[in-house]
Amino acid sequence: MKRFTLLIMFILMLSSIAVVGAQDDVVVAEPGQEVDMVLLPKFLGILVFDQAHEGALEAHEELENPGTLEFVGPGPGEGADAQIPFITSAVTQGVDAIMISNNGGEVVEPATIEALEAGIPVVSWDSPVTAEGETVFIAQVDFDETGQVMADMALKLLPDGGTMAILSATPDATNQNEWIEALQAVLADDPETYGDIELVDIVYGNDQSEDSYNEALGLIDQGVDLIMAPTTVGIAAAAKAVQDEGLCGEVLVSGLGLPAEMQGFVEDGCAQDFALWSFVDLGYLTYYTAYLLATDAIEGEVGETFEAGRMGVYTIEEDPTREDGKRVLMGPFSIFSPEDIDNWRVELDEE
Amino acid sequence: MNTIKRYLRPEQIRELSLIVIIVIALLIFGTQINNYFSIRTFNRISASVMIITVLAVGQTLVVLTRNIDLSVGSIVGLTAYVAGDIISKNNDLDPLLLVLIAMGIGAGFGIVNGLLVAYGNIPAVIVTLGTLAIYRGLLVEISNAQSILVSNMPDWVGDLPRVNLLTIGDFELRVLVAIAIATVILFQLMLTYLPYGRRLYAIGSNPEAAHVAGLPARRIVFIAYILSGALAGLAGFMFLARFGTITVGAGVGLELQVVAAVVVGGVNIFGGTGTMIGAMLGSVLIGTLEQSLIRMNINEFWKDALLGLFILLAIVSDALILNRLRDLWTSDEMELRVDSEKTQAPVSIEHKETGHVAKP
Repeated sequence: MKRFTLLIMFILMLSSIAVVGAQDDVVVAEPGQEVDMVLLPKFLGILVFDQAHEGALEAHEELENPGTLEFVGPGPGEGADAQIPFITSAVTQGVDAIMISNNGGEVVEPATIEALEAGIPVVSWDSPVTAEGETVFIAQVDFDETGQVMADMALKLLPDGGTMAILSATPDATNQNEWIEALQAVLADDPETYGDIELVDIVYGNDQSEDSYNEALGLIDQGVDLIMAPTTVGIAAAAKAVQDEGLCGEVLVSGLGLPAEMQGFVEDGCAQDFALWSFVDLGYLTYYTAYLLATDAIEGEVGETFEAGRMGVYTIEEDPTREDGKRVLMGPFSIFSPEDIDNWRVELDEE
Repeated sequence: MNTIKRYLRPEQIRELSLIVIIVIALLIFGTQINNYFSIRTFNRISASVMIITVLAVGQTLVVLTRNIDLSVGSIVGLTAYVAGDIISKNNDLDPLLLVLIAMGIGAGFGIVNGLLVAYGNIPAVIVTLGTLAIYRGLLVEISNAQSILVSNMPDWVGDLPRVNLLTIGDFELRVLVAIAIATVILFQLMLTYLPYGRRLYAIGSNPEAAHVAGLPARRIVFIAYILSGALAGLAGFMFLARFGTITVGAGVGLELQVVAAVVVGGVNIFGGTGTMIGAMLGSVLIGTLEQSLIRMNINEFWKDALLGLFILLAIVSDALILNRLRDLWTSDEMELRVDSEKTQAPVSIEHKETGHVAKP
């Protein structure tokens, strides 16, 4: 299944390359240089982060890096500060690049600043640190677009309006909070379109099945029409809760989910539209960017353009969604709807 | 007053007071939450309590011997994952066999804990804190970050939480809930009537005396850990059925809820006193608070703090009341003893048989 998703994403990537087109001064990575890198996910043991690791490994082999690629991180259920020891130890070990999906808001910033001061590039991916605490952020999708995509899914599911609640991951996750803000902004800015959709509650399931399940039950009791979960763990738990309560189709479930985890629920009508991007590609692009930074091929300044292997050419740009932030924008979103389940389910079955 | 004293032990008063606290909590939540007194609330709370209850039974066995098992959360996660993996690959597997496999795996982890604590002479907190991390690490390792998915399992697994054992009017008794209740009754009977049960109390009340009396203390503690592990395996199976999707984070933090339930339920953390019924009531109180607080529309950050506060209040008030009662009962016992010495009636033996050991 992975190989197939990968292929699909690859085709999508190709189309985006066509848009970017060829540019001057495209930096190309020189393979074979020794760069020790650390890839730090929010937690170990979550499928999407493992997919990112897979993508990074692919790039690692492609670039024939004789150095090491360490995939380390906190165990499941640990707190906002759990990533700090890994950053500190990477600095002490003298690695050449750190790639982090931040789970601690501004809590990890001092640690990453320490790494930057030691001359180690910090590339954030999936969830950014802060403008000061990172060299550049690899944005899987435009964060404002995430808000737009969620608002549009909500509108599709609640054409006549209704109440919606958000089931998020941890309260400290930067990406989660920005997506929620973006969604709120979209709802507030266009009352004519989204005015009938009322955001009634935001709850946190901490990216754990049982917490998310219980929180989803709480939302069901509140009588919300739609649970929007921008986390793969949360959306699956919400769908199971709706299923167990026998309310499939009455309480709708949407958000960001993995097709493999969601297809059973979608078939039963216990979950509706959801979206996601390729985490394999995200890991791959992150690796290329970190490699180029560590080998001094690029500086991490706005306007620098580089080639990221099979994914094509990318440019470092100002992040319009975060003040003073710099990002490399990946994209695009894939939307998975119940109507075309046959398309995305077939992909899975050919595993 | 004296008649009350004759027929009730302080532990029973404690259990009654827990029931009163649970009723008060239900009444308070009833005024705050719409539609609270419904069969749905009962199902909700009982479904959330069943897993903690089974774990609390195992924990009680261990705590009675002055030990503790902090690794149960990880055992639940690991057995839920492995059982889910097995049933995903062998859809035709007999349900009962799957339960036995889960319990067997749990018992295996219990053996490791038990060997280290009972025969390795390492403090239980250290051992089980270590295995808590080791078992969780093992899960992260074997799972390879793949989740167990509902769609890969036969339908009966995901449907199990909704299967009723019996329905009386609106009242539904779910099979899994019935299993939890049966576990409590079974082990309560064991504690009361089997020599092994009595020995657990003996070891916890006074290890030296138990040793002098020739009780095989190591073996008793060892078996308690195996039972706790097996029950954690059963809880793991229930966890799998209830949540369906199992990630490596399954069951994280359960051990704290279980220890809290056991302590609130009147099982003395220093061993020697407590009942399965009490442990179950403790689980019910904690489950009720947890499920009801979620339904009250309060800030996320307050929920955990409130839960902690309730637990603390329950323990403190309970300890104060229970100590008073104990004093009352002991002073009375003294009087009785004086009386009995005069009349030569063996009243004090009666007290021994009820299992109540007066604290010095």
